[in-house]
Amino acid sequence: MIHALTFLCALAGFAALALSMDRHQREILRHPLPRRGSLALRALGFGLLLLALVPACRGLGPALGATVWSGHLSLAAASLFILLLRWRQRAGG
Amino acid sequence: MSGRKPLSIRQTMSDLHIWAGLLAGWLVYAMFLTGTASFFRDEISVWMRPELPAITATEAPAVIAQRITDSLARDHAPGSALWGMALPTRRLPEVTVYWADPERRGLKRDMFDPATGQPMAVRATKGGDFFYEFHFNFHHMPMGLGRLLAGICGMVMLVAIISGIITHKKIFTDFFTFRGGKGQRSWLDGHAALSVIGLPFHIMITYSGLVTLMVMYMPWGLQALPSRADQAAVNAEMRFFLMPDHPLGEAAALVSVADLVRRAEDRWGPGSVGRIQINNPGDAGARIAIERQSAQRISTVPQYLMFDGVSGALLSAKEHSGPVAQVQGVLYGLHMGRFSDLVTRWLYFGLSLTGTAMVASGLMLWTVKRRARLPDPTRPHFGFRLVERLNIATIAGLPLAMTGFLWANRLLPLHIAERAAQEINVFFALWALAALWALLRPAPRAWVELFALTALALALLPVLNALTTARGTARSFAAGDWLFLGFDLAFIAFAVLVGVLARRVQRHRQRPGKRRARVPLVGGEAL
Repeated sequence: MIHALTFLCALAGFAALALSMDRHQREILRHPLPRRGSLALRALGFGLLLLALVPACRGLGPALGATVWSGHLSLAAASLFILLLRWRQRAGG
Repeated sequence: MSGRKPLSIRQTMSDLHIWAGLLAGWLVYAMFLTGTASFFRDEISVWMRPELPAITATEAPAVIAQRITDSLARDHAPGSALWGMALPTRRLPEVTVYWADPERRGLKRDMFDPATGQPMAVRATKGGDFFYEFHFNFHHMPMGLGRLLAGICGMVMLVAIISGIITHKKIFTDFFTFRGGKGQRSWLDGHAALSVIGLPFHIMITYSGLVTLMVMYMPWGLQALPSRADQAAVNAEMRFFLMPDHPLGEAAALVSVADLVRRAEDRWGPGSVGRIQINNPGDAGARIAIERQSAQRISTVPQYLMFDGVSGALLSAKEHSGPVAQVQGVLYGLHMGRFSDLVTRWLYFGLSLTGTAMVASGLMLWTVKRRARLPDPTRPHFGFRLVERLNIATIAGLPLAMTGFLWANRLLPLHIAERAAQEINVFFALWALAALWALLRPAPRAWVELFALTALALALLPVLNALTTARGTARSFAAGDWLFLGFDLAFIAFAVLVGVLARRVQRHRQRPGKRRARVPLVGGEAL
C-alpha cells in the first residue's frame, strides 16, 4: 500500500512534468500549451514528486522512506518512459 | 596543441567518458550483473540447496543458540578460540556457523540445522555467495588484487558517471526522449535514458561500493593509529567481528547462552538477535557478544551487548556509534540493501539491472559509433575487432555462464570431490567457451547464438529443476512454496528478455531499407 501510493504519486508527478514540456505537448495534445499552463504543470509535477515522500516516510520512517522514495522515482520515470514510447509507436505507426 | 583550437569542456568530458567507460566497462558490467543477482543472495543460496525443507518450524532463538553452542563444544569445534553463528531469518532458515580452526589460521564455516544442531546434509555449493563474492573479488585472483581491481573499476565508473552527466547536453528536455530506428541516435538515447532514469541509484551504488572497502583502499588513516588494539577497536566499531584476547589459561564453564539471548531480547524485543560470537569458550576469560539484528535499519554499524562468558555479567552495550562510523554504516547498508522488504528488494534489483544495461549499451555505443566511420568495413582494424569481440564475450557470455552455474548445481553428481568448486569451474569454463565462440563466429551471428542459447537454458531451468528435485513448479504451487515458484517464474521472464534481445539482433540484421545503404558490412553481414 505504501509502495503503491508512493509509486502512483511519483508517476503522476512525472506525467505532469512531461506534459509541461513542449515536445510532449505536441506529441500528446497535438499543440503546445500556453506558457502559464506549462509552468503550472511543472510546479504540479515537482510538487507531486515531493508529495510522494509523504506516504513513504510516514509508513517506513524517514531513512527507509527516503530510500524507497528514490527507488520509486526511478521506477515511475522508467514506466512513463515506456508508456510514452508505446504512445509514440501507436501514434506514429 | 598550440596550433589547435582548445576543446570545450563538454568535448573533453565526452572523451573522458568514452574512454574511461570503455576501459572499465567489461569488468563493471560483470560487477553490476553478478551484484544485481546478489540482491537475492540468500534466496539463490536456498534455491541451490533444494534438499532443505521448504519451511523449517522455528523454535525460540535462545533454544537454537544454545543447541548450536552445545554442538560446537561437543562435536565440531572443541578447543577453538572463536565460535560464531548467525541465527535463522525468514530469508535464510538455517544457522550459518563459523569457528576458528584450532589447527591453522582462518575461519571454517558451515550451515547447521537449527532443529538438530548438526551440519545440514545438503549438496556442497557456494550458492548465492559465489555471485556476491565474484562481484568484488572476481574469484580466480589473489584476494587483495581482485578487490583492488574492483576498487579501480568503481572509481573509473564514478568518473564515467560524472563526466557522462556533464557530457549530456539536455538531461531535462530529453528526459523522456527516445528516437527509435535511427541507429547510433537510438543507441545514444537508450544509453542516456538508462543512465538518467536510474541515476540516483547508479551514483549511490558506485560510491557506496567504494566505501564498503574504503579501509582497504585508503588504509593510511587506520595505519596512523599507534597500536594494533586501537586499529582493532576501529574495526570493531564498523564490523561485528571481535578478535579474541589471549585466554587466561584457566578452565571455566561457559554461562548459558540461552539466558543471554533472552536477556538481549528483553532489551530489544523478541526475535531481535542476529549474530552471536563467543570468544575463548571454556576459558575463565570467555566473552560472549550478542548482536542486534540489522533488519529494519539501514546502517550496518553493529549494535551489540558484551557479556562475561562465565558469570554472565553485562560488560558493555554498544548501541550508538560516532558520526563517521554511522555514515560508513549507512552507505554500506544502502549498498547491500539487506534492510529491504520484498518490494524494495525488487526495486533494487530492477534499478541494478538498468545499471547493467547502461554499461552494456555504453560498450555497444563505442562500436556502433565507430562502425559507421570504418575505412573498410569488411576489414575493421584490430582495436575495433577486439572491442566488438570482448563485448560479445562479456555482455552475452556472462549471462550464459551464470545460467550454466545454476545448471551445474542441479546436474553435477552429489558426492564428487570439491563439488562446490566444480560448480564454479563450470561457470568459468562456459564463459571461456562463450569467449572463444565470440572470437570464431561472425560477430552478428555470435550475438544471436549466445543470446538464444542463454534464453533456451533459462527457459529449461524450471524443467531441469522439476526433473532433478522434488520441488518442481506444480508441487511448489500446491505447497505454496513461493521461493521456488518465484525462481521458476523469474527464469521464464529472463528467458523471454534474453530471447527478445536475440530476436532484435537478428531482425536488425535482416531489416531491409534505407539503413542498409549507410550501415556497412561486417564479416559479410549487415548489422
